[in-house]
Amino acid sequence: RYVRQLQRLQLLFSPTAADARGARQFVEEAALDFARRHPDVVLYVSPRSGPAPTLVAEYLNGTVREELIASKTSEEIVQLATKLAGQSGLDIIRIRKPFHTDNPSIQGQWHPLTNKPSALTIQGPRLQPQ
Amino acid sequence: VAKTSLTSPPWPEVKLPDPVEEAKYHAEVVQKVNKMIATGQYGRLFAVVHFASKQWKITSEDLIMMDNVLEAECGDRIRMEKVLLVGADDFTLIGRPLLGKELVRVEATVVEKTESWPKINMRFWKRHNYQRKKIIRNPQTVLRINTIEIFPGLS
Repeated sequence: RYVRQLQRLQLLFSPTAADARGARQFVEEAALDFARRHPDVVLYVSPRSGPAPTLVAEYLNGTVREELIASKTSEEIVQLATKLAGQSGLDIIRIRKPFHTDNPSIQGQWHPLTNKPSALTIQGPRLQPQ
Repeated sequence: VAKTSLTSPPWPEVKLPDPVEEAKYHAEVVQKVNKMIATGQYGRLFAVVHFASKQWKITSEDLIMMDNVLEAECGDRIRMEKVLLVGADDFTLIGRPLLGKELVRVEATVVEKTESWPKINMRFWKRHNYQRKKIIRNPQTVLRINTIEIFPGLS
């Protein structure tokens, strides 16, 4: 049971700007392949005349990531899109531990008194067994 | 010969049991453990797995992150070999160094493939007008361990 964390991919570009050439090529050639390979991601393509072309990705936990795709070839945009599709919406900051468990100890957590004989069983020069 | 303080070593002398008796005892223990596994009397299992040049202690439903790229896509199930140790509440199976594949089965799913946080790699020499700054992002994969299963196949 695997749920992809990417909700929506919005591709905003303008049909006339020169730096949106890669975006236009991507839309013409590779967008359909990408959509077919990732059937659980919704891809919106909306041409608008405005600033630089961007690729907006929204995730299931609400984080929104914008990436500029100005002056990029369509292969690079495909790679970017697959990378975004594989990510989850968590912040990309330094993570302290590369593992996470909910049940860290099964046989009982070690404390300094495990595997030590109790006071009734040790034999020493001073302590007599009772 | 008189007994001095150096005739016998200072640690207590341990008598090893008979090899025949030992073999019988071992067979008994092995049968008991087999029965326990077959009837399913264990609770949670944990395993020590060698993966991506590191050894991890894993249980079911926990997350592991590695600093490399796996060839599996997001959502693929992966079976991990190279299991060194498997344990439960009452017994542990220790491999020398690995356990057999017919004994243990560890399954994991690739949850996400992201990049790490942008690390800065800067070189600077003073008084030489030399500084280079590079931002490094490593690809990472996150796996979630689904199940750890053992089969009664000891001998």
